Amino acid sequence: MAACTLFVAGCASIPAPTEQMTISRAAVTEASTAGSNEYAPSQLKTAMEKMGGAEQAMSEKNYEQARSLAEQAQVDAQLALATTRAAKAKKSADALHEDAHVLREEMNRNAK
Amino acid sequence: MQKNFNFPMSLIAVAALASCSTMPQNSLLTDAHHSYDMARNDPQVTTLAPVELREAGDSLLKADNAMSKDESEATVNQLAYIARQKVRIAQESAQRKAAEQEIAKAASQRDHDRLAARTAEADASKAQVVAIQQTADQQATALAVAGANSERDRARIAKQESQLKDLNAKKTQRGMVITLGDVLFHTNKSEVNPAGMHNVQKLADFLMQYPQERVLIEGYTDSTGGETLNQNLSERRAEVVRMTLVRMGVSGDRIETKGYGESYPIADNNTPVNRQLNRRVEIILSDENKRIAPR
Repeated sequence: MAACTLFVAGCASIPAPTEQMTISRAAVTEASTAGSNEYAPSQLKTAMEKMGGAEQAMSEKNYEQARSLAEQAQVDAQLALATTRAAKAKKSADALHEDAHVLREEMNRNAK
Repeated sequence: MQKNFNFPMSLIAVAALASCSTMPQNSLLTDAHHSYDMARNDPQVTTLAPVELREAGDSLLKADNAMSKDESEATVNQLAYIARQKVRIAQESAQRKAAEQEIAKAASQRDHDRLAARTAEADASKAQVVAIQQTADQQATALAVAGANSERDRARIAKQESQLKDLNAKKTQRGMVITLGDVLFHTNKSEVNPAGMHNVQKLADFLMQYPQERVLIEGYTDSTGGETLNQNLSERRAEVVRMTLVRMGVSGDRIETKGYGESYPIADNNTPVNRQLNRRVEIILSDENKRIAPR
């Protein structure tokens, strides 16, 4: 975050990225509620930290940095969500395979 | 802008700093291209996450445009970073969809297996029912056969009883006794007279019909004449009946004979009628164990 302040100084007269902030906050929240803290913890952490940085930049009226961090937070949160969904789906698939395996073993036992 | 490499910083921060310098190439953009190419050559991603891949491609194009328009390094880096993350999103989405397809397949396989399991169970219980039914059928058949057998036995016994009745057989302590008496022999003769022949024929028919029966033929006389004579006569009379039966087809080894002379009269010998009653041959039928109780 400290590094970001470096190029903030040079870019002052930009409109506040209010819409991007809203979108990014929603993306982070969605990833968080979808269980990313369990399935994609580091990606979620990155997104949240950047979102925090964006909020900070917003409060400092450093809009360029706020937009940049918010955009990154959005895409990081989206990746966290995608990773979470993929992990959940894999888990379900594995559980089903296990079920099928158990069922087949049961059948084979019955058949004997 | 100034260069400052002393900050401990993330890749993005490095890129942000680098934007202040004039580097001909952007390493983040190169990375993004690299990962995009990998994804584009992954059939799982192209088939399962084409929309996400196209979004990544669009982002990459924006980064390329920014680069070619010589926009700030920070802008290019930002767009490159977003493009690369979108490639990852496309890859994760493809993996999710692959897993979802697996779930659908595994679920249908599981349903198939469950159906197979239930079918197997149903078949097993059906086979069990069939087996039980067969057992029941066999038992019913066996019972029917047994019933028919006992029916036949009853019919046979009834027939035998009626035949024995026809032969004037009497139940005694020694078993069934048939008396060939009255008109069988003349005094002091051992030939069977024609009326007696008819009775002997009936007995022969009966014995032919029941080959398991054995018989003891006992001869008796009245008191006319001497004892020795009567003894011999009674033996001869029994023997005559045996010979007659054998001639009629009854196996000789089923027949025993015995003479009792004037012993065991069934009436006193005072009148010709009574004496005729005493001139008799008794035929004792064997019991079910083929035994004949002696006198």
